[in-house]
Amino acid sequence: MNILVCIKQVPDDSVEVGIGADGKPAIDSITKVVNAFDTYALEMAARYKEALGDDSEITVLCVGPDEAKNSLKNCLAVGGNTAYLASDAAFSGSDPSGVAVIIKDAIAKLEEDKGAFDLIFTGKEATDAALGQTGIYLAEQLNTGVITNVIAIDVKDGKAVAKQETDEGYRMVESDTPVVLTVSKPDYDPRYPTIKNKMAARKKPIEGFDASILADPSLVGDAGAKVVAIKTYEPPKKEAGVKVQEESDEDSALKAIGMMVEAKVLG
Amino acid sequence: MNKAETKNILVYIEVADAAPVKVSLESLAQAKRMADEKGEKVIAAVIGQNIGDAAKEAAAAGADKVIAVDDAAFADFNLDVTADVMMQIIEKEKPEAVFVGGTQDGKDLAPKLGAKCATGCASDVVGMKLDEQGNIDFTCPLYSGTVLEDVVIAEARPQIATLRSGAFKKLEEAGQGEVVAESFTVADDAVKAKITETVKELTESVNLEDAEIIVSGGRGMGSADNFKLVQELADLLGGVVGATRPAIEDGWVPRNHQVGQSGKIVAPKLYIACGISGATQHLSGITGSDYIVAINKDEDAPIFSVANIGIVGNALKVLPVMIEEVKKIQAQ
Ligand SMILES: Cc1cc2nc3c(=O)[nH]c(=O)nc-3n(C[C@H](O)[C@H](O)[C@H](O)COP(=O)(O)OP(=O)(O)OC[C@H]3O[C@@H](n4cnc5c(N)ncnc54)[C@H](O)[C@@H]3O)c2cc1C
Repeated sequence: MNILVCIKQVPDDSVEVGIGADGKPAIDSITKVVNAFDTYALEMAARYKEALGDDSEITVLCVGPDEAKNSLKNCLAVGGNTAYLASDAAFSGSDPSGVAVIIKDAIAKLEEDKGAFDLIFTGKEATDAALGQTGIYLAEQLNTGVITNVIAIDVKDGKAVAKQETDEGYRMVESDTPVVLTVSKPDYDPRYPTIKNKMAARKKPIEGFDASILADPSLVGDAGAKVVAIKTYEPPKKEAGVKVQEESDEDSALKAIGMMVEAKVLG
Repeated sequence: MNKAETKNILVYIEVADAAPVKVSLESLAQAKRMADEKGEKVIAAVIGQNIGDAAKEAAAAGADKVIAVDDAAFADFNLDVTADVMMQIIEKEKPEAVFVGGTQDGKDLAPKLGAKCATGCASDVVGMKLDEQGNIDFTCPLYSGTVLEDVVIAEARPQIATLRSGAFKKLEEAGQGEVVAESFTVADDAVKAKITETVKELTESVNLEDAEIIVSGGRGMGSADNFKLVQELADLLGGVVGATRPAIEDGWVPRNHQVGQSGKIVAPKLYIACGISGATQHLSGITGSDYIVAINKDEDAPIFSVANIGIVGNALKVLPVMIEEVKKIQAQ
C-alpha cells in the first residue's frame, strides 16, 4: 500500500493564543507541534501498515515554513518512512484551496518516483484555524473520493472502507482508491517515539519542493487566495467573578448556593 | 462564477426527523437579515425524502423561495450526491452567497461546494456584516476562539460559509415564502464515496445546544461512579449532562455529551463545571453561557477565569451538599 500523510505544523494547542503588539496572533514564542488530528492520521496509517505487515510505505508531506522540518522529523520517528517539505515564499498567504493545489502538485511529483498513492490521509482539521477544508478541496482537485471524520480504515478488493464517526454513531463509507481520508480522534492515542527511532529519524534526509512544482502558480499564495483576512482581534473577555473558599467544602457549597439564588440562576 | 451575475443568498437546509435542524433555521434567519440589507432574496434548498413539512417550515422561517427536492434517491445524506444537487441549484440560481449550517455534514458540504465553484469558504462563522464593497465580512474563531478573524471572499463567487450553531438567532415571524418542487438527477460517476451502513450507537439524544442548564464533569470527578453526582445535579435541575474529552475517553459518559471545540458549542443560562481545568478547547465551547459556576480544587485552574462563581474545593464534597440544598429549595 502506498500511503501519504499530509501534516501541518501549528502552535502547541495547549497554549492560549492572544494578539501581539503587531495586531497579529502572538504565536512566535509558542512551541510548534504537528497538528493533533494529523498525529491521529499518522498513527492510523502506521497501525494499518503494521496490520498489513508488508512493504507498504508511508510518505509524510508538509506545506509550511522551513522550521516545519522539525515536525517532519518527529513524524519520521513515529511511523513515517520518508518526509517531504513543500516550502516557498510564494506559498505564504495560501488559503485551503491554495494549500490543496500545492499538495496536489507535490503529489504529482512524488508519484513520479513512488507510483500512485492509494490512501491520502489528513487530519479532519487543524487546531489553529479549525477550518476542516484542505482535505476536501484536495479530493476535489485530485478528482477522488473523500471520507471525513475517519476513525478506522481498511482496504478490501481495491476499495477503501472507512468508519466515519457521526454525532450518534458511525457510517461505513466505501470509495475506490485513491481516496482522501480526513481523520478524527480514534479511541487510541498516537505513540511516543522510542529513543532509537528518534535517533534514526534525525539522520534521515527531508527533501524539499518549491514553487517550481506548481502547474499554475496563480492559484496559490496571497494572490491565489479566495478568502482574504481583514483583521484579527481578541474577543471581549468574560470577567472572572468571585472565588468562594470557606473553612470547609460544605460551607463553600452553601455559600455558593446562596449566591446562585441571589443571582436568580437557581430556584 | 462571474461576480456581476450573482445575486441573492442560497441556504442549504439540513433535515433531521422530517424537520429542519436548528442551525439551518438560524442560517436562514441570518441570510434574510443580510439579504434585506442588500435588497435581495433568500432561497432555501431542502433535499431529501418526505421533506414537504420541512420545506414549509423553511418558507416560514425567512426564505422567499424554497426549492424542495423530494426524492427517495436523496433520502440519506451523501456528500457527493448532495453537493451535486446543490451545484445544479447554484448554477441555476447564481447566488451571491451560500450559507450552510455548521453541522458535521454541513462542514463537509460547504468546502466541497467551495472547491467545485473554485471559490472560498469561511468556516464556523460567529458574526457577519456587509462591508463597503457589498461583500460579506465574516467573523471566524481562530485558536479555539481566543482570537477572532474577519475575512472576506472579495472576488470569487459565491461566498460560501458555514455558520456556527447558536451564533445567530432564529426569526419568530418571518413571513411566507413560496415552495417550489424541483427534481434533479445525479450521474453515477459523480458519487465517489458510498455509505454502505449507518449505525446509531447512542440512542439517547442529547440536546446540549438548546439546554438552559448544563452540569458538566471532567477528569477531576475521578471515576464513573463519582460522575453520577454530575448526573444527579443535572437531573434535579432539569438540565443536561456535559463532559470534557477525558471524561468521555475514560468511558464515564457517552461522547455525545462532549462540550468544546470538537464537541458541542453551548449557550445555557447556567453552566456548572465540576472537576474541569478549563483548557481552551473546552472553554471555547462554553463562553456563550450566561452564568458559569466552577468547582475545582486548584485555585489557579483556568476555568476560574471565566466563572461567575468559582468554588475552590473538592467537587466530591461540594456536589452532595449542593444537591441537598437544591432539593430543599425545590421543596419550598
Ligand atoms: C484536537 C483537540 C480537541 C479537543 N477537543 C476537546 C473538546 O471538545 N472538549 C474538551 O473538553 N476537551 C477537548 N480537548 C482536550 C483538552 O485539551 C483538555 O485536555 C481537556 O478539556 C481537559 O479535560 P479536564 O478538564 O476534564 O481534565 P484535566 O485538564 O485533567 O483537569 C482536571 C481538573 O480537575 C481538577 N480536580 C481534580 N480532582 C478534583 C476534585 N476532587 N474536585 C475538584 N476538582 C478536581 C483538577 O484541579 C483539574 O483542574 C481537545 C484536545 C485536542 C488536542
